[in-house]
Amino acid sequence: MAVRPNEPESRLRRFLSKDFTPYLVFSVPLIFMVIFLFWPLVTTFIRAFLPAGRHFTFGPFSLNNFERFATSNLYRMSLRNSFIVSFAVVFCTMLIGVPMGYFVARVKMPFKNLILSLGILPVILPSFVGAFSWILLLGRQGLVRQWINAFLGLFGLELPSIYGLFGVIFVMTVTYYPFVFLLAYGAFEAANPLLEEAAMIMGARRSRILRTVTLPLVLPSLGAGAILVFIRAMGNFGIPAILGGEEYVLPTLIYFRVNGFYDLNGAAAISLVSVAITGGALLLQKFVISKREYETIGASRSQFAQHTHPAIRIIATVFCLLVLLISLAPQITMVVMSFFTRWGRTGPEGFTWANYARIPEIAGKPILNSLYLSTTASLLCAVLGCLVAYITERRKPRGALILDLAIMAPFILPGTVVSVAVISAFGSGSIFALGGTYTIILISYMIRRTPYVFRSAVASLSQLDPTLEEASMIAGANWLYTFRRVSLPLILPGIISGTILTFATLLQELSTTILLYSARTRTLPILIWGAVADGKFGEASALSTLLITMVFIVVYVMNRFLGKSITSSFKVG
Amino acid sequence: MSSRIRYKEVEKIFPGDPPVHALKKVSFTIEPGELFCLLGPSGCGKTTLLRCTAGLETLSSGSIFYNDQDVTSIPPFRRNIGMVFQSYALYPHLNVFENVAYGLRVRKVDQATVKRKVEEIMELVGLPDVLKRNPSPTALSGGQQQRVAVARALVYDPQILLLDEPLANLDAKLRRHMRAEIRRIQKVTNITTIFVTHDQEEAMAIGDRLAIMRDGIIEQIGSSDEIYHNPANAFVSNFIGKMNFFPGRIVSMDGDHYQIQLDSAGYDLRFTPKVASDAQGAKAGDRITVGFRPEHLQIAPSPTEGQVRGRVRIIQHLGQVVRYEVALEQGGTERAIEVDMRRLVPGVLEGDEIAVQFPQDVGFLFAEGGEE
Repeated sequence: MAVRPNEPESRLRRFLSKDFTPYLVFSVPLIFMVIFLFWPLVTTFIRAFLPAGRHFTFGPFSLNNFERFATSNLYRMSLRNSFIVSFAVVFCTMLIGVPMGYFVARVKMPFKNLILSLGILPVILPSFVGAFSWILLLGRQGLVRQWINAFLGLFGLELPSIYGLFGVIFVMTVTYYPFVFLLAYGAFEAANPLLEEAAMIMGARRSRILRTVTLPLVLPSLGAGAILVFIRAMGNFGIPAILGGEEYVLPTLIYFRVNGFYDLNGAAAISLVSVAITGGALLLQKFVISKREYETIGASRSQFAQHTHPAIRIIATVFCLLVLLISLAPQITMVVMSFFTRWGRTGPEGFTWANYARIPEIAGKPILNSLYLSTTASLLCAVLGCLVAYITERRKPRGALILDLAIMAPFILPGTVVSVAVISAFGSGSIFALGGTYTIILISYMIRRTPYVFRSAVASLSQLDPTLEEASMIAGANWLYTFRRVSLPLILPGIISGTILTFATLLQELSTTILLYSARTRTLPILIWGAVADGKFGEASALSTLLITMVFIVVYVMNRFLGKSITSSFKVG
Repeated sequence: MSSRIRYKEVEKIFPGDPPVHALKKVSFTIEPGELFCLLGPSGCGKTTLLRCTAGLETLSSGSIFYNDQDVTSIPPFRRNIGMVFQSYALYPHLNVFENVAYGLRVRKVDQATVKRKVEEIMELVGLPDVLKRNPSPTALSGGQQQRVAVARALVYDPQILLLDEPLANLDAKLRRHMRAEIRRIQKVTNITTIFVTHDQEEAMAIGDRLAIMRDGIIEQIGSSDEIYHNPANAFVSNFIGKMNFFPGRIVSMDGDHYQIQLDSAGYDLRFTPKVASDAQGAKAGDRITVGFRPEHLQIAPSPTEGQVRGRVRIIQHLGQVVRYEVALEQGGTERAIEVDMRRLVPGVLEGDEIAVQFPQDVGFLFAEGGEE
């Protein structure tokens, strides 16, 4: 039987016999991304070139908003401070995180598991809560400040004020060092010991091996850690808002423009500058690191011989425990403070339950808001992230790279920038006016957090052998059946852990919510921030303790449920 | 029910830079109930052809027929075929029973029938006991996983069974056992089966017929015996068993009898070779390639004038034969050939100079330059 495959009839048959379910399913996230991601980003970009104010037009365009970086002292200072803070924080976290990672990976010492599981806490817990605890410890009246000054006084020195750049850099460092620590630990742990043993056999000393073999091999991981810290330091709003005082940085400047002047177009320009800097740092990191990525050759693995010299063991143990103590001090302080009325010269004063007793009255609605917003947004993130991951990873359409970049872009966007973008597109006066609603907060949460679920879904999918899905097709299952019965069950653990971590981070979200909330949609972090601003430290502590407990329970339950360690769930980044 | 599979000018080009032309106008037919082997070096297109047969890859042009039905544009899940993957692709989240039952569940078969069919097929593949514990497939040994994968592919009575290097992940002894098992199961079920492998011994042992592929082209199709004894060209002859090649020129020919001037010898070879299809039209004066299998050649100590000289590089005792790797000097460059002797040749050590002797009644004649 002769069949010409290009007859129109057979071409139509070929078209109709295709399985169209995937295309229908895939169009949903794509439409969502166009409306809720591309459009806000595009309007933000356009606004940056419009005259100051909140009006959105299509011209005339000018660079007035950017000129202020040259003319305004406040703008210049913010830009300079953002640079100083970000680079200083990266440097300091390296200084702490790299040795700590090396110690835990390579030195025989006690408390390793404790250090690894507690080490992650500063990242999980809300950073602005840490900031205000440090005021208690290192503020003008602070207990710890007095101890340190007593010591520094011997050399005629004094600790700088916690308000200002020193405080911001210090608190960010103790908050973000875990990224460097955990990535460094992972790299030191995973490197092939035979490479170092080979160097030793060839006669190299330990210090030479460290310099010529070990460090070059872990450099890509350190670069990844550095960029994670840089992005966060650049975008953090809570810490400079609480500790910055007169010293503005870009996120607080954006907040100031929007809340003080309702100058959305000006804020958009600042956002653009902030994103450009982060993008530049990302490129720099890629440029420096990408030349130095090494494939590990050979498959055999063995354990590292650990350092056992008593001096090294003591130094390592003391160093790690000290870092841990410092980084957890604010959380401990806060829990203690929540049971007292004041924090005096010698410590907490006036034991009371009142701070907790007031919670139902003042925080009932915000707690419900936080739970509702975080739960809904994480579930939406899960669906979106999972579908887009499936499209880019399995279908590999022509625009896969653009899709990947688009969904990952918010990863480097500071929270304040996302809220500027969302207000630009959906604020009062736009076609879909969503200002002050739950929806606008949900949208911004989704934009910010989908990359996290997306990444863990991509990681799970890339480990899922495609032949498992092919085998299902061969056995007669169509795309939807295969997805439900094979792909989804196998990537579900990764997606669940990604979703729950998203939930935990959204519970404490401040920098986006701060520009989007209304009286009706206030969340728990907003309430805490307000209490700190009003100087109600007792109340703020009780609320923070509640928040931290909620976050902790979520992460703990997840780890019990999935049988994973807390640290491993943060490796994705 | 088993099907005939017919390929009509099947082409597959993978886009890219540069594009990969994986299949070049492949046309042939596999008969119903046949166990057919696709054999070739890695990258020859054999797995691509298998995946096209399954519908996992779309053709660039051409058609594939199951019996008289054009399946070219039919997605794999509507084709009713079974496939065993190199990695087995067993589902770690399902137990063995559910793995095997998967295709039946897809077809919405009732529970009683599912149970009966799974038990029957597990009996056939020789794993009836595994169902009692019914563990996750990850708890099984490699050989057991292999059988489960075969059971899963056969349980819903597919019209075609496709096997993609199914034995590659097993150790040598188990592999020999399993290839006999697969042939047994295939003969019991009588399903048209395509078996992809790069192992010529495996292909010759298991296949009713085999196709030798290279660079997206089928070089020869035939039974193991035909291909071994009548290879179509030098490439096939050296892929199915070892062949030593000697370039030369036809001096004269008289019926089956050829007189050949070898580049490496000081005298003319007179013999009666099998003439491969690519050398059929050769005439006196043409350059050709002479081929001898290692067992056709002989070595003798202390060469005399006019014999082909060589130097013994390595002597390997392989049990049934002793293999001499001999370096031939030829125009300033060295070439290695292999000579298999029944036993050690007395007085010949590694490094010694020897003479290579050619037979007169066996040997092959190929077109020039086809041996790469």
